[in-house]
Formats: sequence, structure tokens, C-alpha cells
Amino acid sequence: MARVMIVDDALFMRQMLIKILVGEGHEICAEASNAKEAVEKYKQFKPDFVTMDIVMPMMEELDGIGAVREIIKIDPKAKVLIVSAMGQQSLVVEAIRAGAKDFVSKPVQSTRLIEVIKNILSS
Amino acid sequence: MQDGYRELFLSEAQEYLNNISNCLVKIEEDPSDLESLNEVFRCIHTLKGMSATMGYEKLAGLSHQMEDLLDELRSQKKKLTLEISDALFASVDILERLVEDIRLSRESKVDIAPCLEDLKRLLTADQPAEGVMPKEKKPERAALPELEEQALEFSDPDIKKIKEAKSRGLNSFKIRVTLVRDCVMKEARAFLVISNLKRRGEIIKAVPQVEDIKEGRFELAFTLVLVSKESREIIANDLLNISDIEKAIVEVVDVAGKTAAAAPQGAPSYIKKIQSMRIPVERLDKIMNLMGELTIAKIRLLQIMQSFKLEPLEEVGFTIDHLTSALQDEIIQTRLLPVAYILDAFPRVVRDLSKKQNKEVDLEMTGSEIELDRVALDEIGDLLVHLVRNAIDHGIESPEERKAKGKNLHGKLAIKVSRQKGQIFIEVSDDGKGVDFSAVRKKALEKGLISGEEAAALDEKRVLDLISLPGFSTARVVSDISGRGVGLDVVKSKIESLGGRLDFETKPEVGSRFILTLPLTLAIIKAMLVRVEGEILAVPLMNIRETIKINEVELKFLQSFEVIRVRDEVIPVIRLNRELDIPVFVSSEQYSDDRLSVVIIEYGKKALGLVVSQVLGEQDIVVKPLGSFVKRTKGIAGATILGDGRVALILDTMSLR
Repeated sequence: MARVMIVDDALFMRQMLIKILVGEGHEICAEASNAKEAVEKYKQFKPDFVTMDIVMPMMEELDGIGAVREIIKIDPKAKVLIVSAMGQQSLVVEAIRAGAKDFVSKPVQSTRLIEVIKNILSS
Repeated sequence: MQDGYRELFLSEAQEYLNNISNCLVKIEEDPSDLESLNEVFRCIHTLKGMSATMGYEKLAGLSHQMEDLLDELRSQKKKLTLEISDALFASVDILERLVEDIRLSRESKVDIAPCLEDLKRLLTADQPAEGVMPKEKKPERAALPELEEQALEFSDPDIKKIKEAKSRGLNSFKIRVTLVRDCVMKEARAFLVISNLKRRGEIIKAVPQVEDIKEGRFELAFTLVLVSKESREIIANDLLNISDIEKAIVEVVDVAGKTAAAAPQGAPSYIKKIQSMRIPVERLDKIMNLMGELTIAKIRLLQIMQSFKLEPLEEVGFTIDHLTSALQDEIIQTRLLPVAYILDAFPRVVRDLSKKQNKEVDLEMTGSEIELDRVALDEIGDLLVHLVRNAIDHGIESPEERKAKGKNLHGKLAIKVSRQKGQIFIEVSDDGKGVDFSAVRKKALEKGLISGEEAAALDEKRVLDLISLPGFSTARVVSDISGRGVGLDVVKSKIESLGGRLDFETKPEVGSRFILTLPLTLAIIKAMLVRVEGEILAVPLMNIRETIKINEVELKFLQSFEVIRVRDEVIPVIRLNRELDIPVFVSSEQYSDDRLSVVIIEYGKKALGLVVSQVLGEQDIVVKPLGSFVKRTKGIAGATILGDGRVALILDTMSLR
């Protein structure tokens, strides 16, 4: 079981993800609602993996992709999972380039999310 | 000519023609795009064969001539010039007209002779001998796309690379990756696979080519050859840890350029398994209709079940409930088609329109894999063309004007399709000059459509209302392209009649954006059932913001309208019984609750409260269109049959405002 940080600007999405992840026995060690907070909390909590909403409001020149980049800079082995709406392929590609490990699309299906996380944790 | 095959011929021919148009656009952009060239060649070739079989001589003749010219291009004996591409486009137009004549079973008056002459002349005309293709591209890449699945062939340089890798102690792997069928964002998924593999070594070959894979131009599978120091297990494990991959086969390639663990070579199979079949649309409609009846019967059954409380009956009932829901989902799926079906036509549309206007326009399309109900697709194609026209004609400036403004010479036009919560969003945006509010204001004042006061407070919503009025055009010159014919008013009312919505945003000098919102399917919708006196009405859930209960005293009068305050918003209220002339109904049951139920519906950014007698609850309803004699009844969009056999009218929220 892993320690997870959830990054999403929508409280609703965070709660949904938390419900799925806690149901799988993971521990939510941090939540962040913007990119800057995500980077800070990553440093502080060192989670085993991060779910990152790719579209978030700019925060001090940092967006979702910027946050992925920063986190990878802090920890090249960081496991970041992108959560994105369909049709944002270019953003997802950008995030993969920045070092994200995988992605799931909204609406998030719990079975898929669980499987993806299992894959990420075992890689 | 065999009549039974005519339908099949027509539908296939149309597909080929669309494909040809698209590939021609691609080739024109990038003459070295051999794959598209081969695709055009293959389509024309097949079309020729089909037409000849059916005895359509003109079609066969013209496609034969096109085929000859394309063959010259393909074998690099000829270079693609503007003249040739124009001739090819012109020929495709004629092919389309010929097919249309066949569809309408009328004698074709289309004269193909001039076009044939053109093609012949271009075929025999001399051209400088040098080819357009980059030298390193091998003619072997000209393999037909279907060959994608076949074992990839190693050229000499490939074999050399593999040998060299081996001498350095590196392994070469042939990797075939198959994505799951319902994979979303194929491009991104493929990109993830490729970037993961690149971390392990070097990709020396790919079918289709790496760029094509990254752009999602493959069916479900692609093949790569990777040179890496890692073992087969590590590579395979890497791939297995990526989600949405159905299957990844990693085989070691030996020096001879053959895979060592070669799959047993069975006899080649000549007969492909049938993967999909064509079903006439009417049949699908019938199935949908029956499904609707079944749903209604099911709801009745469930209601009867509740009143009898028989255990075995309940068991069967719940199974039936579950099965019908699953069946309904499946049937809805069969009615869905990817938006690509209509979007595929747009590269051509944009090319033609922008050429006519002497503008440079780059088209960007995303989300074409998203699926939409066939009926809606049929309806929105023309509307999108109109919006695109509008953008090219009114939005995007001429290259000179753009240059003066310091913008990129090429205007950008984007069509984005996305899906959220059972709704489809289609966005058409441009980076042109935007709608000139002051021009709209002036024109509207001139025409007496708004008062001076209103003119001062003009917002986007109101501007859209204004510019979508019939006959309202601020274009100074009415062009061949827009400013006549279908107006925004038609787009708007059509979308609304489909249960959708048209929104509009604009910023001067930055561009405009039209957003169409549509329900996923038009036949079965979620609705809130409400009672108004003795009638039951269904309000589409998509339009509802919330339902509230208020005391009669909370209704206030503002001028002559009733309004309520909900949180900080003042919302106009109408009483549905008065609005729809529903007679007072004295129920045998008396409701002790004398508060009023209000359903708040939403259109655009505005809201409207509907006072109803009682809110009954949510339900899936099957939309039955009204007969023509009651069509256009104010406030009513259709009807549905409830579980107990009663008819409920479906409220048309759009016509109430």
C-alpha cells in the first residue's frame, strides 16, 4: 500500500479519487489544489505517487505540466500519474515528456485507475 | 446492374471518396507523404474496379485516368504540381457528382470529357525528371496500408544496424504493441510507449513510421524494432506496466534479420474473419424504437412487482431490469459513430474556402474519435460547415492584414470535440479579428433592434442573439461564402431542436469561439417528471439547474413578472399551468404541503423558474416525436409513455423563455 498525494483544483475530483484510493487501502498523505502547492507538498511529504490534474489555473507561473517538471527535478524517480479530460492529448504528451509515468482520462473509472496505479507501483 | 449491391456500392464509394479527398489534402501539404499517396491510389483503384463491375462507365473511366496519373506520382516519375493537384481535386468533385447521380437514380448529365483531357495532358506532359521524394525513402514504403500487420521487412541498412548492435553486445527486439480496443487518447498512449522504449534503447524501425504512430495514425497495433542493452524480460515488463495495452509481443531479432522465435508459419489465410458488418440505418432505428417499448414495459413490470411482492417474480424482474439496461446501453453504442465521420470532410472544406478567400488557414482538429449519435451527426455536419465558413469569412483576416497586426500569416482554425457527463461539446474557434462589438451595436441601433441603454450593456450572449437574427450581418461585403444562405439563426435553432445549445465567446483581435453542446443520444434521455395539475410533464435533466420549494410569499413582482430570489440571483418565474393552459385539477388526495415546487431551468447563462404542482422524480424516458399536426406546440418538444401507460409530454425548455 502506498502513500499518495492528490493534486486537483476541483474538490469534487479530489474527493472522488480519495474514495477510490482509500478503498484500495492507500494512504492519502497530502492534497493540493494548485501546482505550486503540489510542488511544496511533494518536498514535504515525499509521497510514493502523485495523481496530477493536468489542467489547473496558473499559480506563480506554474501549471500542471510545470509541476510535473518540478517534481521530477526534485526526485527523478517520482511517480506521477496524469488525470486529464479527453481530447487534451497534446498536454498529456507534454506531461509525459516532462516525466509523467502514465495517464488516465476523466471521467475516471475506478477499475482503470486501480489498474494503472498497480502498474505504476510495480514498475 | 444488380440492385441489391447498389446500396453497398454507394456507401462504400462515398467512403472511398472521402478518403481520397482527405489524402489529397495531406499530399498537397506534404508531397513526400507517400502513405497518403498510396492510399489515394488504392482507393481510386478499388473505386475503378467497383464501378466497372456495376457498369458505371463514366465513374470507371474517370477513375482509370486518375489512377494512371497517380501511378506516375507514386512511382516518382512525376512531381506533384499545383496544376496536378487541382486537376485531381476537380476530378474528385466530378466523381462525387457521378456518385450522387447514381444515388438519386437519375441519368447523369455530368460531362467527364474535359476532365479526362486535363488528366491525359498532365500525364503526357514532360516534367523535370528529378523526384520529389527525399532520397532515403525507399519505394518499399509504398506497401499498402493493410500490410501493416505483415512481418516488417528489413532493408540492408537495417540488417547492418542490427548486426552492428549485436557486435557491441546489444540486443535487437521486434516489438508489436496492441492497444485495448476502447483506448482513449491513442496518440498520447503511443507516445508514452515510444518514450518508455526510447529510455531503454534506440528505435531503428517502425511500422507505421514513428511520426505516424505518435500522431495516432494506426489502427490498434504498431510494430517497432528496438536496439537495447536490456534483456527481453525487462523490455516486456516495461510495456506490461503501461496501462491500456492489450498485448505486447517482444521477440529477439537475429542477425539474419528474421525473428528468432518466429511464429509458426501456417498456410496464409485468404479469407479474413468478418469483424464488422453494415446494417441499414432504418434497422437500427427500428431496434431503438423496440428498445424504447421494452423499457416502458419493463418499468410497468417493476411497478406491478412492487405491488405484489412475490419473491420469484421479483427475482426475474430484477434480472430483466438489469438486462434491459445493459441492452439499452449496447444499442445506444451501435448508434454512435465517431465524429471523424463528418470531421474528415473539413480539411477539404477549409482548403477550398480559404483558397476562395485568398486566406491562409491552418486547421486543427481534436477529439475526432469521440462518438455521437448518428442522428445528431447527420444534423450537425452542415451547421459546422457554416460555422467554419463564418470563421474563415468574417473571423480570419487576409495575410496582409494579419501581417500588419503582427499575427502569424496563417490563421488558425480549430475544431475541438470533447465529452463530459453525457454531453458532447463541439468547439469551433479561430484566431481572427473577433466580433466587432461596436459594429454590431451600431447595426442593431440602426435597425432599431435594441435601445441605447441596451446597447451600452451589450454582452456576448446578447451579441450572439443579435448576430444570429435572420438577416443580421455586419460583413461589409456579402461574399459568395457567407453573409447569405444559412445564417447563425439556423444553426442556433437547429442545435436547440436537437436538445442542445449554442454558446459564443469573442475577444476583439484574439478570435471567436462557438461552442455547441449536445446530448450524447437523442432517443433516450434522463428527465425529471413533474406534475402540473392533472398532467405529467418530463423536463430534460440536462436543462435543470435545481429544484426548490418556496413559500408563496417569496414570489415577488418585478414590473409585471413574477420573480424569486435564489441565493443572490433574481430569477423570473412562470407558472406552467397558466403558460401551457392546463386546467385546474382537483385531486382526491390533498397535499398538506402548501409550499410551491419550483424547477429552475437554465439556458445559456440565464435561469428560469417553473412553478409546478409536484416534483415526482428522475427517470429515463424514451423520446417519441410528436406527429406533424401537433408539432410546434409552444412549450412541448415531444412525448413519452410512462410505465403505467400514461402519456407524458416532454417540455421544450427553449421555447418557454
